[in-house]
Amino acid sequence: MHIPDAFIPVGQALVYWVIALIFIALALRWARRSMGEEKIPLVAVLAAGIFAIQALNIPIPWGTSGHMVGAALAAIVLGSPYAGIFVLTLVLLVQGVIFGDGGITVMGANIVNMGVIGGFVGYYGYTGIKGVIGNAYAAAFIAGWAALFVSAILCAVELAIAGTFPLVPALIGLGLYHAVIGLIEGGITAGALYLIASARPDILERPTGVSA
Amino acid sequence: METKQFILIGVAIALVIAVAAPFLASGDPDGLESAFFSIYGAKPFMGSELDEDAAGAAEEQVVAATGNDFSYEALMPDYSIPGMDKTGEVLAVVLGTLMILVLGVVVAKISARPDN
Repeated sequence: MHIPDAFIPVGQALVYWVIALIFIALALRWARRSMGEEKIPLVAVLAAGIFAIQALNIPIPWGTSGHMVGAALAAIVLGSPYAGIFVLTLVLLVQGVIFGDGGITVMGANIVNMGVIGGFVGYYGYTGIKGVIGNAYAAAFIAGWAALFVSAILCAVELAIAGTFPLVPALIGLGLYHAVIGLIEGGITAGALYLIASARPDILERPTGVSA
Repeated sequence: METKQFILIGVAIALVIAVAAPFLASGDPDGLESAFFSIYGAKPFMGSELDEDAAGAAEEQVVAATGNDFSYEALMPDYSIPGMDKTGEVLAVVLGTLMILVLGVVVAKISARPDN
């Protein structure tokens, strides 16, 4: 879902950069207030793992592939939507600058779509759904799916505003492909949360078990 | 599990994925590219045949539509090292993973809440 430079006019791309910078500032404020020094290795490992798994495109039907984004996982594990923004900003910065994956002028849009939307939908989707159904892993699966799907819908709207895609085909195309890719996101989010919770339940900001 | 062990296992998993990714990853267009090619007539919406000429034309069309012709030569474009084959791809993803690990520690260290 990494938007390349050519897809958004520079003027609009700068607007997304401004929005992204506001959320990056909020993420840094979250880190200063809530990210203790003991979390530093976990943040770095999550970012590295998310970068690696983003390189692993998994085939879906219709000659298409997709990969995990990971903001929902980072937000759930570290207990804040801002953690998703923090981690994804690092990943998208290196992807864009070193690997040419995702544009430079449009990096703000990519940070908004994957980091901000992924972080907020992932985190509040998880806490909200877990509160209703009680199962942390089912909640993580649904939240991961929704984080990716909503990111793709926003991406479709941005590209329609950009004049790159007509709105309805953009919503149908990006929506359908990412409804399927979302299953990958949901599955890996739930699986990784399970592994982390099994190895180190104390490291999670919110326990996965049902509170008594 | 001790924190040190937990983190090392995490790093190991990331590196295993990084080494395996170039061999396992699908080369098909991703969701955004696929939507782009199908909307611009280079690929059927639910089919897999990509018309390379139409895809190239679509990329020119989109630059004309948005006026954004910013181009940038990345160091390791598309997770590869120019002039190297699969080994270059493995190296690229592994280097990227290590880069993020170091950058993550540095940035997290600078921005973390000071513990007194």
